[in-house]
Order: sequence, then structure tokens, then C-alpha cells
Amino acid sequence: MDFLEPMIALDETHYQDGYKDGYDDGMVSGKEEGRQVGLKLGFQVGEELGFYQGCLDVWMSIIRLDQGAFSARVRKYMEQLAALLSNYPLSDPENNLQDMMKEIRLKFRVITGSLGAKLGYEGRPTSSEQDLEDI
Amino acid sequence: NAPCPPRAVDPQRPPVNELPSTPPRWSPPPPPSGKSPPSLLAPPRTPSAAPHSALPARHSPATRARNPRQATAIAGEQAMDGGAAELRETHRLTGHADRAWSLAWNPNPGPGAGPVLASCGGDKTVRIWKRAPDGVWDCSDVLDGVHERTVRSCAWSPDGKLLATASFDGTTAIWEYSGGDFECVATLEGHDNEVKSVSWSQSGSLLATCSRDKAVWIWEVQPGNEHECVAVLQGHTQDVKMVQWHPVLSVLVSVSYDNTIRVWADDGDDDWHCVQTLAEAGNGGHSSTVWSVSFNQKGDRMVTCSDDCTLKIWDTSADLSQPTTGEGHESWFHLSTLSGHHGRTIFSAHWSSEDVIASGAGDDAICLYAEEKSTMVEGPSYRLILKKEKAHDMDVNCVRWCPQDPRVLASASDDGTVKLWELWGNLLD
Repeated sequence: MDFLEPMIALDETHYQDGYKDGYDDGMVSGKEEGRQVGLKLGFQVGEELGFYQGCLDVWMSIIRLDQGAFSARVRKYMEQLAALLSNYPLSDPENNLQDMMKEIRLKFRVITGSLGAKLGYEGRPTSSEQDLEDI
Repeated sequence: NAPCPPRAVDPQRPPVNELPSTPPRWSPPPPPSGKSPPSLLAPPRTPSAAPHSALPARHSPATRARNPRQATAIAGEQAMDGGAAELRETHRLTGHADRAWSLAWNPNPGPGAGPVLASCGGDKTVRIWKRAPDGVWDCSDVLDGVHERTVRSCAWSPDGKLLATASFDGTTAIWEYSGGDFECVATLEGHDNEVKSVSWSQSGSLLATCSRDKAVWIWEVQPGNEHECVAVLQGHTQDVKMVQWHPVLSVLVSVSYDNTIRVWADDGDDDWHCVQTLAEAGNGGHSSTVWSVSFNQKGDRMVTCSDDCTLKIWDTSADLSQPTTGEGHESWFHLSTLSGHHGRTIFSAHWSSEDVIASGAGDDAICLYAEEKSTMVEGPSYRLILKKEKAHDMDVNCVRWCPQDPRVLASASDDGTVKLWELWGNLLD
């Protein structure tokens, strides 16, 4: 029965060949797609977080020059924002990324609202734009 | 939602906001000898008529506060000692070019000054109304050019010097009266979308706003028109319709499209959290959108009104501003539900200093209620005093009792008008 073995193995061989081809193709196109998505979303997230970090860096410099530039309450908010930003997992995505981003955005608005500064990250569409007159 | 059409003026009749303060079908009463209290809607009898002079008790059958007038009433009027309760329209204030949303009486207009009323609406403006020496109500100021959308709510600071206006444009503006003019001195930004309501704390140092973004923001008012955000309260799952500070305690109430009433307090360190939620299940709460909330003067009672066409009275005597020590702390609870009087959404309710509750609804009517003083041990109950059908031509959006005269009521409507009413008669059965 030895001469029958290659015949049985042929099925398996073709399976393995096909699998390898598909795997190699998938790797290439998957990597490309991931790159596109990563560029888009990752870039957006990075840009927004970078904006807030940049503002924070400016505020921290002000505090170094003038301790009393901001009230104790606002300084506390800035420290909280700094903590939120540094906790955001840039390299290891977790599940509650949306919530973390919302928290960061809210903290930023609380600070700018308290400073009376018209400062906002321009890249993100605001939820109010498409909404109509309400009661 | 269409803006109301301009009203044609009948050349045979004087323009409506110049009507004499007494209803046309009575003949003017002889000047009283000093027994009847000065009415804020009539020309002052003496130059120094102070609106705050002691008003004789209106409820007690023994005093006949309005008698001199009613003695001269023409046939058809009821018994001389007061008669059935009646809500009489005294003035109709026109000017808003769109629906009138909300009203606020200045709690402290100044020594010797008459009452001052602010109204706001869909035409993006706020109008200030004052009574002239001849008794006619005039629009003394129009606050515009700041808000880019509907002004939904307005509130005076306790000292009467500042007016906060909340708008669908997402901002809350603070106006100061200086040099004969109202000037916008600050703009609070923070909400994601339409701001629905604004309320000053009794100390005047905190301001609360709420919005369709489901959040309630608390701001601290600082010298130099600076404002800092103290807290952002999240908990409601839908549009928050109104916020109202407790008249005495450092406690904030918010009501929402999510059918609940939430009570917020802080632990003394700017850390605000929800200390109680009054929902349908378990609390006897509303089964639909809660639109308004109003406390009585003492703060131990609160009325809420809803899309479910009811008003609910709550016992709010528990001091929720104190941190809970262990289990079993007191809470606010449902006392009574008033239903069957309005056939549509009740948009507004207000509790007067004489304990008369007014409500305004989508059925164009205004209802008045008072506590039923009975000897039943089941607890307080409330009864309808009167229903004013067709108080306006369209939805009644807001009702507010005048702080200087608790018999005077102002109402605002989708028909673009603000009306002033006077409550006459005996409120006891």
C-alpha cells in the first residue's frame, strides 16, 4: 500500500500550499489596510492629544514664570489633565479609549471655560453642528 | 414652531399694553382710605408707596384686603367678603417677535423701585419690562446682539444686579445694569449644545446651567466678572430641562427628558455628586419628561411638572447637603400627585410665597392650586383653586409669581406675549 500514500498526502499538500499563499497575501494586504486605518485614526488621535499636551505645556511654562497666574482650582484641573493625557495608552490600545478621550476633552473645556479662553481643537467635528432648534 | 405673526392693532382700542390696570367692566373704585394695600398694578397712591409695605393677610376671612374695590363692583360679582377666587388678566405685553420662553422677576429691584420683569424668547432677545408711574407697563430695554440663537431661560442674581441668560447657542451670558444700560459682562462656555436653564444659588456665588448635552455645569462667580467651572455633573441620560437651587441649602435640583429628578450636593471640597434620584419606579416619580421644578419659600416642599400631565409635590425637608453618616439617611419623598387638570404637557410650575402653586401647560391654560387644610392624618393634599382656560392663544411656557406682590402672576407663551394676572378673591373654601 506504500504507493497510495503520496495520493492521500496530495490533498494535504495542496491544502498547505494554498494556506501558505493565502497567508502571505493576507499579510501584505492586511498590513496595508492597517497602515491606512492607523494613519487616519491614529493620526487623528495623536493630533488631538498633541494639541491638548501643547496647550498644557504652555500653561505649565506660565506657572513656572508666575505661580499666581492661575487659581488653585484651575491649577488642579491642569494637573488632572496632565494625568489623563499621560495615562492615555498610545501604544497599547485598551477598550475604553472613547471614554478616556471624552474625559480629556471635558477637562480641557472646563479649563478653557474657567480661563475664558476661546481655545478648541479644530479637527474634531462638534456634535451640535447638525442639530436643529430644540425645545 | 413658526414665529407668531405680528398682531394687528385695532384703531378703536388703545394698544393692549396701555390698557388701564383695572378691568374695563368695573367702574373705577373710590380711592381707598389707606386700608387696601398698594397694588403694584395700579398707579401709586402716594409718591413713596413702597411695594414691600406689609400686605394684610389675604387668606384669612377676617381681613378684607380687597373689599373697597369689591364693594363697588357691579352686579354679578359674588359675596362682599371676597368671593370666589379669580385670576384676572391685567396686562398683555407684546414685543417679542417669536415665542416667549421664560420669565424672571427681579428679586431686588432697588429701594423705591417698582417690580421689574425679564422675558426671553425665540427672537434671540431678552426684554425688560417696568411699570411706568401712570401704571402702564413698558419695555424699558431690549438685550440683543449677544446670543446667536433662542434665549431659553433667564435668571436674576439674588442682589438684582446681574441677569444670566441661557441660550440654544450653547452659551450663558451675564448682563450687568450700569449707566442706564444693560451690558454683557461675561459669557460662559462649556456646554456641548443648547443650554436650557440657568439658576443662581441663594448666596449669589454659584451659577448652575444645564443642557441637552445631559450635563449640569456649576460655575463660581468671582470679582471682576470672572467665572470658574466648579463642577460638571453627569448622571442624567437625556436632555436636562431645568436646574434650580434650593432656597436655603447648598443643594441643586435638575430635571430631565429622562423622566427623573436628580438632587446634587457637594462634600465641601468642590466634589459634587448626585445624592438622590427621584424616578418613576420606587419614588412615585414622573412617567415622562420632567419640565420644571419650584420650591416653596422655606424649601421643605417642591413641585415638579411633566409631560405626563401631572404635577407632583415632594417633601424636601431632609437636609441632603449633609454627608450621610452610615446607613438610613433621610431622603426626599413623594407627597401628592395632581392630575386631570391639564390635558397636555405641563411646562411650568411656580410656588408663590403665599403657597399658591401656578402651572402653565400646552393646553393654553393656567391652573392654580393650594394646600387642602383638612384634619385628615394621611398627610397634606392639594386642590385646584381655579383653571384659566385659554389664558393664552398657544402653549403656556412659563408662569412666575411676583416676589413683591404674591397675588401677581406673569405668564409667557408660544403666542409671543407675556401676560400679567392678578389673583382676586378668597382662597379658602
